[in-house]
Amino acid sequence: MVISIKGENMDIIGQFPLFYFPEYGSAWMMGVTGTIHILASHTSVGAAMLFAFLAYKAYKEDRTDLYPYMKKYGMFLLIFSYVIGSITGPGIWYTATAASPRGISALIHNFVWVWATEWVFFVYEVIGVFALVYFMNKIDKKTHLKLTFTFALASVGTLALIIGIISFMMWPGTEAYYTTGSASDAFFGTNTFPHMFLRVGFMIMMSGVIGLVISSAMKKENEALSNELSRKMGFVSLIGGFVTMFFFMWYMGTLPENAHMVFSFTKDTVIQNRIILAILFSLYFLIAIIKPKLINVPIASTMIAVILIAGLWPGEKLRESMRKPYVAGQYIYSNQIISRDVPGKGIKSELPIIAEKGLLQVNPFVPENLKVITADNKLEAGKLLARMSCSNCHSLETTGKFRPLKERLAGMDKEAIKAILYAAGSGAMPYMPSLQLPEHEYDALAEYLASQKY
Amino acid sequence: MDASVLLALRDPAGIPFYPVVFQALYILTWALHAAFVLLALGSMGLSLYGTFKQKDDQRWKILTPHLIQTGKISVSLLIVLGVAPLLFTQVIYDPNWYTTNTLSGMWIFIFIYALVIGYMMFYWFYYANKAKDGGGKMIGMISFAILVFAGILMHNFAVTSIMPNEWMNMYAPNGVVDNSGWTFNIDIIRLAFMVSLSLPVVGIFLQNYSRFVSTREDFSKDLIDYTASLGTKIANIGLLISAVLFVLWMYTIGYLMHPVIIATIAGVLVLLYMVMTNKNSYITTGVLVVVALLISGVRELIRYDLMIDLGYNIYDYPVNFEIPTITMFLLTFLIMGGVGVAYLLTMAWKVGKSQGVFDGSKDKAVNTLGNYTLGIMSLWMVVFFGWGMTILFSNIL
Repeated sequence: MVISIKGENMDIIGQFPLFYFPEYGSAWMMGVTGTIHILASHTSVGAAMLFAFLAYKAYKEDRTDLYPYMKKYGMFLLIFSYVIGSITGPGIWYTATAASPRGISALIHNFVWVWATEWVFFVYEVIGVFALVYFMNKIDKKTHLKLTFTFALASVGTLALIIGIISFMMWPGTEAYYTTGSASDAFFGTNTFPHMFLRVGFMIMMSGVIGLVISSAMKKENEALSNELSRKMGFVSLIGGFVTMFFFMWYMGTLPENAHMVFSFTKDTVIQNRIILAILFSLYFLIAIIKPKLINVPIASTMIAVILIAGLWPGEKLRESMRKPYVAGQYIYSNQIISRDVPGKGIKSELPIIAEKGLLQVNPFVPENLKVITADNKLEAGKLLARMSCSNCHSLETTGKFRPLKERLAGMDKEAIKAILYAAGSGAMPYMPSLQLPEHEYDALAEYLASQKY
Repeated sequence: MDASVLLALRDPAGIPFYPVVFQALYILTWALHAAFVLLALGSMGLSLYGTFKQKDDQRWKILTPHLIQTGKISVSLLIVLGVAPLLFTQVIYDPNWYTTNTLSGMWIFIFIYALVIGYMMFYWFYYANKAKDGGGKMIGMISFAILVFAGILMHNFAVTSIMPNEWMNMYAPNGVVDNSGWTFNIDIIRLAFMVSLSLPVVGIFLQNYSRFVSTREDFSKDLIDYTASLGTKIANIGLLISAVLFVLWMYTIGYLMHPVIIATIAGVLVLLYMVMTNKNSYITTGVLVVVALLISGVRELIRYDLMIDLGYNIYDYPVNFEIPTITMFLLTFLIMGGVGVAYLLTMAWKVGKSQGVFDGSKDKAVNTLGNYTLGIMSLWMVVFFGWGMTILFSNIL
């Protein structure tokens, strides 16, 4: 139940100032940070699992020669994954907040206790990773093994806790959340578990991919061990890759209709790229298994770069696109407007009041001189409206780079642009927000966009 | 800023538990975060000084790498501990936090990468210094400068968030909207006070260091005495500077006679006495934690009062109770977090006290805590999947 507070003004909606990065928009900043974070965080969880596996093997088979490898792997893990992962993790949060404050706010206010629980695991992980690496030669092997097991479980715990939140960004999976408002219903949607295991597979694969850099670097010191480990890493990666592909298939089947609609635009290219990547990496892993001595540090490092550039970056961009027009829970649009009621939380759609009063009137950060459109301020008001309603997904400049409007509105005059705005606003394009504005705002927006002469 | 706007900026989903709980958790976790910020700042700064001495001075030869290591681990801990107050502040003070983030969007982005680059460079410094006594000075200094810069940016976010009356001017000066995200504000006295605290923190750390290694035969008495007296000196001077700056800060904002401020000043005086006598630095650390909590409380008091004056009361935030997830948090925090962290810290303590290999399997405390941690985590996983499957089945079948 939402209590009405004295002083509340029903004609204002809770929109924040707008941050816009020229040419690209602000959402790409989150994309860059997110892609780096995914590489680092998936590597770190995968590495934690691999670490536990190696420690178990070393302990059971009394393989003391494995410890130096684990130490090197651990140092790499520490520096690469934890330094970058632990900073870019909150970094996504920060940059996403700057770009989509209400999207993040929705996640925080639904899942604060889930995040707080993840934080407990995170604290264990961060202290644990130092213990794991620095105590390797300072504690007995049995204690060390136990430590690696708890560390691996804590790492998987962080994944288990974040996955439902990321899945909710796509959609809650069922209708239950909207009526109950319960975080459990929001968290455990239909795509949560397939999404989780898709990532587990990728983590396993990444642990092997990173492992190959280190195992191939050990050739000079001990070639036989280097080859044995490269072979193992090849197997690990191959299994991880298979798990990724398998659950990817399942995951795609659990996505909402609008996601498939967006996906259909690029489906052929995406599938083609994924097939090429799958073949390339299968070959790479098979070479590691059959002819491990062919793997060296430059090749192994290049393959990481290939994953980052050809796998993760487009993958993340696709996931972001498939959420459109929403940013979280299918009730908040990317342009920070609440688009439906969520009775379970007492949330009301803001579309009716925007349609009645207009964005300029209801946004508290619009300066007084732009609240009412006049002949003098029309272009300025149109520009602000374009930024408020379009810039989260489209760059606005004639030289814009990120889903630029110039490609959508090339050569159109004001009336043609207005026709597109009407169509989008009334829901004719499922990947665009159904956002109806008063006529004077449509007019100012169209005039400004036409003045850009895309 | 109008109360109606601040109230409208609250998330319409409400908050999932009593606001006071988030406020208390904020104060607690900010204090923990700040403790490691200050330790990182102090130990990194002192380690840089050490690089100039370590070639010729046997004591600094040992102390410098230890300070570098302390700085390195502290940065990791300050990051992880910083996530919690970040989380809690945006639950109850979302208008402040999100407005700041958008007004300073560019700085937010720069902050993240400054931290990544600064911290990576600190690792570089660590390896360079490991390879050669006195090595990596320049890298260390650049890294330190970048990390301090990141700290100043964080200060900017904190200060901007408590300037609601200025937000509109920052966003649209003279009615012209500025979407660039370059808003930057600084409060010199507040910042100087916060930075000055790194001196007493590193001073007390050195007293603890001396006390901790005093039971180890492989550490010379000379080093043990030197670090204790150095710690006392730094902490004494630091506490005096901090006290002056604190009084000045409180005076300028008109809070000097507030009971919480008087309690904080009293805490600092007690701390000063304990540091000077250095009878048991571990107890001094306990008092330091209390003072840190008080300082965290002072920050919150300033914000709370300011927002109340504007008509925004966090205690009036609409509550939509969310029982299952808070139960999960409390159980995980208290049981798994408590046992797990106790396990790691007990092990670390005992490893640090041992010469050679520490056999944890024969140590009752480490062994038991390890078994419990493993058991609790495994059980946690079972409960997680059981809970998820129950919810999912009931919603889709």
